[in-house]
Amino acid sequence: MEYIVETKHLTKSFGKEKAVSNLEMKIPKGEIYGFLGPNGAGKTTTIRMLLGLMRPTSGSVQLFGKDMKNNRIEILKNVGSLVENPSYYPHLTAKENLEASRKILNVPKKRIDEVLQQVRLHEVANKKVKGFSLGMKQRLGIAAAMLHQPELLILDEPTNGLDPSGIIEMRQLIQSLPEEYGMTVLISSHLLSEIDQMATRVGVVSKGKMIFQDSIETMRKFAQASIQVKVNDNEAAWRSLLANGQKADLEKESVTLQAEDDEQVAASIRYLVQLGFSIYRVQEEKRSLENIFLEMTKEEQAG
Amino acid sequence: MILSLVKADFLKIKRKGMWLLCLIGPFGVVALQMVNYGVRKDYLFDQMDDRWLYYILNINSFTPLAIVLGIVILTSFMASIEDETNAWKQLVALPVSKREVYLSKFTVVSCVLFLSSVLLFLFMSGYGLTLGLGADIPYLRLMEYSFLPFFAAFPVLGLQLWVATVSKNQAIPVTLGVVGVILAYSAPLLPDWVIWKWPALSNDWDHSYINALLGIGFGLVLYLLGMIDFKRRDVK
Repeated sequence: MEYIVETKHLTKSFGKEKAVSNLEMKIPKGEIYGFLGPNGAGKTTTIRMLLGLMRPTSGSVQLFGKDMKNNRIEILKNVGSLVENPSYYPHLTAKENLEASRKILNVPKKRIDEVLQQVRLHEVANKKVKGFSLGMKQRLGIAAAMLHQPELLILDEPTNGLDPSGIIEMRQLIQSLPEEYGMTVLISSHLLSEIDQMATRVGVVSKGKMIFQDSIETMRKFAQASIQVKVNDNEAAWRSLLANGQKADLEKESVTLQAEDDEQVAASIRYLVQLGFSIYRVQEEKRSLENIFLEMTKEEQAG
Repeated sequence: MILSLVKADFLKIKRKGMWLLCLIGPFGVVALQMVNYGVRKDYLFDQMDDRWLYYILNINSFTPLAIVLGIVILTSFMASIEDETNAWKQLVALPVSKREVYLSKFTVVSCVLFLSSVLLFLFMSGYGLTLGLGADIPYLRLMEYSFLPFFAAFPVLGLQLWVATVSKNQAIPVTLGVVGVILAYSAPLLPDWVIWKWPALSNDWDHSYINALLGIGFGLVLYLLGMIDFKRRDVK
């Protein structure tokens, strides 16, 4: 498989503390990669190393199959980025801000209008950025990142400070990029719900270590539903179910069925009814991705 | 590559008052002599046979202060433009070499200072002509005292830019700058090796071009050291 981003044993230490340790990130072409982790897990440090802003303590970064160490400038020609809080020059207008980058990137002037249109800032193009809201500054940062139509777009917490409609717009924009321009996108976030709605692949990082990296579907499989049944005598019902060959757990006030499909649920309930249990409730409990994410990062912290 | 960086840097100093500063510096230096000569012209004319030379030396007693102060303000300005919203990370994530980023900042400050020197030459000659200092206009000397202090101040520029770009807090380069201005003010009391003395163009050999050559040479060394250090550091 062709990887746009590939890190090997990537490690960065600040003094004794390892901010990133032995991180192996693999991003195939055309994917939207959600880079998840709690605050302070090492996401931004990793991204800074991907952009050559920081030197790894050990390990290597390869973008487009080229080593970052020796081909930084060549690689960065095809990378657009927005790292942490948006950077801008407050005394310049939106247009002038983009012009400052455009001069260096050497792309046609009309790209400025195009990207401003894309992030819907074209009406304030000639206003000083000083007076922009955080969301507008964020969008300006995204516009700057897309100026040269990069093959890889790296966005660190891109929806920070955006209002709900801004988040939806941004999501639609990001989702359209792989199809329309063949871009590969890396988005970091500490919010799973955000990644869940955009990403096709997920990497979860905790304490500087990659603890999960696979497609979003695989992650969703962890989220299989379980069925909670509440009856007049939970323990007796649980024993009967086990005796009948149905996997179940006894909870405090209910029995949890680990059913594979609907028919199995129906059969178990029918069985309980035949035995004369009074069934009060049958409810589905979904393990949200949020829960899985929390469990994953918790396990890591415990171990 | 470097040219587009310089162009971008010139765009960034727009509306920051740097061009005004570029004008105020040389104007201020000459304006002080306007007051001086306006008040006691006859007395000053009696001080030395060569009235032009005396006038130029009077001007030159303030030029080094203006240049050192100008360097401190300009370099700190350049750094603070990027520091303000930590735009360093955005700038360095573009396909540019960090060496060229540093060179570009150095170039822009040098250009502004050089323009100030040109203006100093114009103002100094212009006001000198209205004073009636003599028919023999010493153009060479006027140029010497307009441009050589600029070259002699290169080490100060190299040092200030270095400290300003790597400091998170601009109070550090400004403090260093204030010390520098005091040293430049005390130039006659200092030994020749102190870099802040060099823009005054005085030395034991009595050749002002030595200061300029030393300035360019040592300025280059400090520039290279600053650039290497800037490149070596992680961008926060």
